[in-house]
Amino acid sequence: MRETVTIQVGNYANFVGSHFWNFQDELLGLADSAENDQIFKNHGLSMDVLYRAGETQQGILTYTPRLVSVGFQGSLGSLSSRGTLYKEVRETPVDYLTWTGPATTQTSQPLRKNLFLQSLDWDENANVDSSRANDNAKNELHSEVQDKDIVECLENEVQYWTDFSKVHYHPQSLYELSGLWTDDKYFNNYGIGRDAFSGGLHAEEVNERLRFFLEECDLPQGIQFIVDDSGGFSGVAGEFLENIADDYPNIPVLLYSVRSPDSCLGPSNRKLTIARKLHDAVSFSKQSAFCKLIVPVGLPSLSASKMSKYLYLEDRKPYHTSAVYASALHSITLPFRMEPHGPSAQVSCTSGAVTINDLVQILTGQARQNMVAVLDVSVPAPAFTGTQFQQSLSEILQPLTPETAEDVEDMQALEYMTIHGAFASGSKRASISEVKEAVHAAYMNAVRRPKFSHLSVSQCPLPVPLPFPSIFGNLVGKNGELLDTPISNSASRGSLEVHSIPLAARLRSSNAILPFLENRLENLYKLGIARGALGAELLGNWGFGKDDIEDLGETLSDMVTKLNPASEASSDSD
Amino acid sequence: MSLKVLNPNAEVLNKSHALHMNINAAKGLQDVLKTNLGPKGTIKMLVGGAGDIKLTKDGNTLLKEMQIQSPTAIMIARTAVAQDETSGDGTTSTVIFIGELMKQSERYIDEGMHPRVLVDGFEIAKRATLQFLEKFKTSVVMGDEPDKEILKMVARTTLRTKLYEALADQLTDIVVNAVLCIRKPEEPIDLFMVEIMHMRHKFDVDTRLVEGLVLDHGSRHPDMKRRAENCHILTCNVSLEYEKSEVNAGFFYSSAEQREAMVAAERRSVDERVQKIIDLKNKVCADNDNNFVIINQKGIDPPSLDLLARAGIVALRRAKRRNMERLVLACGGEPVNSVDDLTPDCLGWAGLVYEHVLGEEKYTFVENVKNPHSCTILIKGPNDHTIAQIKDAVRDGLRAVKNTIEDEAVVLGAGAFEVAARQHLVNEVKKTVKGRAQLGVEAFADALLVIPKILAENSGLDTQDVIIELTGEHDKGNVVGLNLHTGEPVDPRMEGIFDNYIVKRQLINSGPVIASQLLLVDEVIRAGRNMRKPS
Repeated sequence: MRETVTIQVGNYANFVGSHFWNFQDELLGLADSAENDQIFKNHGLSMDVLYRAGETQQGILTYTPRLVSVGFQGSLGSLSSRGTLYKEVRETPVDYLTWTGPATTQTSQPLRKNLFLQSLDWDENANVDSSRANDNAKNELHSEVQDKDIVECLENEVQYWTDFSKVHYHPQSLYELSGLWTDDKYFNNYGIGRDAFSGGLHAEEVNERLRFFLEECDLPQGIQFIVDDSGGFSGVAGEFLENIADDYPNIPVLLYSVRSPDSCLGPSNRKLTIARKLHDAVSFSKQSAFCKLIVPVGLPSLSASKMSKYLYLEDRKPYHTSAVYASALHSITLPFRMEPHGPSAQVSCTSGAVTINDLVQILTGQARQNMVAVLDVSVPAPAFTGTQFQQSLSEILQPLTPETAEDVEDMQALEYMTIHGAFASGSKRASISEVKEAVHAAYMNAVRRPKFSHLSVSQCPLPVPLPFPSIFGNLVGKNGELLDTPISNSASRGSLEVHSIPLAARLRSSNAILPFLENRLENLYKLGIARGALGAELLGNWGFGKDDIEDLGETLSDMVTKLNPASEASSDSD
Repeated sequence: MSLKVLNPNAEVLNKSHALHMNINAAKGLQDVLKTNLGPKGTIKMLVGGAGDIKLTKDGNTLLKEMQIQSPTAIMIARTAVAQDETSGDGTTSTVIFIGELMKQSERYIDEGMHPRVLVDGFEIAKRATLQFLEKFKTSVVMGDEPDKEILKMVARTTLRTKLYEALADQLTDIVVNAVLCIRKPEEPIDLFMVEIMHMRHKFDVDTRLVEGLVLDHGSRHPDMKRRAENCHILTCNVSLEYEKSEVNAGFFYSSAEQREAMVAAERRSVDERVQKIIDLKNKVCADNDNNFVIINQKGIDPPSLDLLARAGIVALRRAKRRNMERLVLACGGEPVNSVDDLTPDCLGWAGLVYEHVLGEEKYTFVENVKNPHSCTILIKGPNDHTIAQIKDAVRDGLRAVKNTIEDEAVVLGAGAFEVAARQHLVNEVKKTVKGRAQLGVEAFADALLVIPKILAENSGLDTQDVIIELTGEHDKGNVVGLNLHTGEPVDPRMEGIFDNYIVKRQLINSGPVIASQLLLVDEVIRAGRNMRKPS
């Protein structure tokens, strides 16, 4: 077992993370309860890779994510930044131990917990005095009635990422940036974020928290870093990543830069548009310098993508869209948790274990050394034998990376795919070898084949926890099987109707990412480097000198050249 | 806490509106912070929406917790926080002073005076006040043996504004000794060499100075000693874990044997590094009972820990980067980056190394060191907000002592400087100024009095009486500050109330600059929101 530490920076990153940890929590819960599917009991995935075992001062054992989350002050909603497990024992009611003079209290309006969070509290209390069976039964009745209401309340009321989180966090996990005196509207560029983080004690404190989790790891395999790079948090992450690269040169960082659909909307005026374009270029280039593999995630619209055949998504709800991204991330990380086994091992439910470092080697280690990967996903994945799977892989997978080229010819492409919980036909789960054969066949039939492909398979589907949004269309069955005829009249189905779904996700290193890179390179040149560039002054304000910007441009053009050697000549002539 | 009052919805404000908005914002911020000032100020407990408690009397902390929205207030807050960053204290005073400058100006502006004239007066008054400060300050000769008493008095003055007296007095000795411990002749003081560590354990009065170092982690092997005496300390930055390598990924080897061979080769090179350390241990501990402790900045994996434990070595991994420096200053020796240059000379020494466990948290104490140049202030308290508050106070105390040593001067406190400077401006400087700029000087002079006024107000005294008495006593030729218990004038020198010179200078410098900017504003355009209007 090799540990990972997860880092989430920025509001949308925390939304994605919240769903991600809900899946993990659900897996833990399903493995414990008796009446469930064998698949969830023996999933062959080590949870210790993501979680740490601890103990409170009162000696109560805990099991919490190995996570550092950074967000705005106040972005935790009704959740205390200390989490819920490590409560302080209060011998005396709050007293002013350190001051004998006068005292005043300023109490903010307590944030009301929504129905879902309240129900978690009830459950907790019910567990505490489970001896009173009478109460328990009543409670159960209570909750039966309310699941529907809970789902509905989440649909309409989610405001903070903590509103739908059912996970207990460690007190070291949640960090709020205080003293910014700004809201996300104005905290919108790399420069602001960098200044906010590097000045003062924030950087030191956050580094300490990361060290807390890493020190415990016997053999860390890497860091998964999710950043909301649409605004100032990109600058925060840039500084943080630089520190990580300095302090832990041997630990690879896998970076997902995510953004919500509404952050992709073009701003209305010209000045902001320029700022936005420069921000995108700078932030991407800066971040890629300090990680081993970067995966840009975030389509301008999910509801307009081909996922809309099976999913009913509302772009303006981060609660909806982040769920899709979190599912994809969950799939990608599954192989990190599989136990590697030799050829003599028993038949198992997983195949194709890799570590983060292996993944980096697979995708970036070959001749081209391209470190930008495209994320594709299929939610839910179709059955992997029979007629349906005659479609080519590229038809069932939807890229989640923006600005990618479709249908490109790339002889050098490298792929890493995870498929889990897939069906063979109807409602029978496919065995590992069936999936492998199906994928193999698909590759053989495909017109374009990657140079190298790695496949990881698990039998364990994605469990759909209660606080998962109602995003499934009426062609998705209870276990995520795809139906030919609509199952009900209602347009959207949620966690009460759909209990798990099969998923396929893929990372690929391909020249499909070229438009993404070229846009950034072009914007940086046109707006930041060229003589009389409109944004040169702005970049100066963000603390970038002329040399810095040229370095950034260099980084970007290197990336382009790696994928498209022909472009070198053309960019020189600019 | 919200200052939404200060955030009117108007988008473009004309000159007079803009000016009044600025003045109101400055006054509003002053109102929030003024009760904090001084040893009789009010502590504020902030309860967040999720029930989180923050307890603070520090203006800097309070400002950072506030959701300030008015651009003017943000500007003042930034100045005040910058004041804290450069000089370590004076956040509250800065906000109060700027607020008062605006308040005084308002009077004149309402009578039809142009802000420009006031600003000119401010400039003259500022220069005169700074010159006066040079005369007024009390020089302190530092030399090789700094006067501990004066350092203590400065530290106590600061700490008593943040913590109750008994605790403040206890911490006074701690911060003074800590700074003297890390001080090296002819070198600037690096306060980072004082580690501030906290334990949620026992009570605030158990806070103490550890000569040596406290680390917030312990050894990760069950067989390693929890307590060791007479220890050689190896401070190193050497990876003792199985490294990833380029050929590690699964598809590079063709058979299981090949993979095994590669893994074994990798492992061997780690083991060799561990063996070199064990060899050194055997060399220095051969004919005595001494112990050997490794504190490594990089990782140590379980097989390496096993080898080390078997050799009787205590090993800590992933130490803070800064602790590498601190350890060497505390224990001696030098940091090692490669096992190839290991010699007994690299090793430091500590009389006692032991582990303290609280739940899942482990602390390692490295104590009884010889001639330490780094130390740890170990803060204890029953809960987080107590700890946070002591931590803030300790930081300020350390800065105050450092400032005193570096300034080689202190300024009499308890409002004495402000009263004296005000009288100087009114009685001497004003006469030399021609025209209406005089009024600017007067406004500035009166604004200075806000410090003793608020000190008096916070102590429940009558401000008018106090000011009259103080200025009267001053004009008799005495240096006077305010006794907050009685309201009588006192000599701050006798009471041992001293402030930092640099803090005062910074305050006099930055306050009028911001106030002038706010007064000279023509128009306020809410840039962000205005631009978002659909075109």
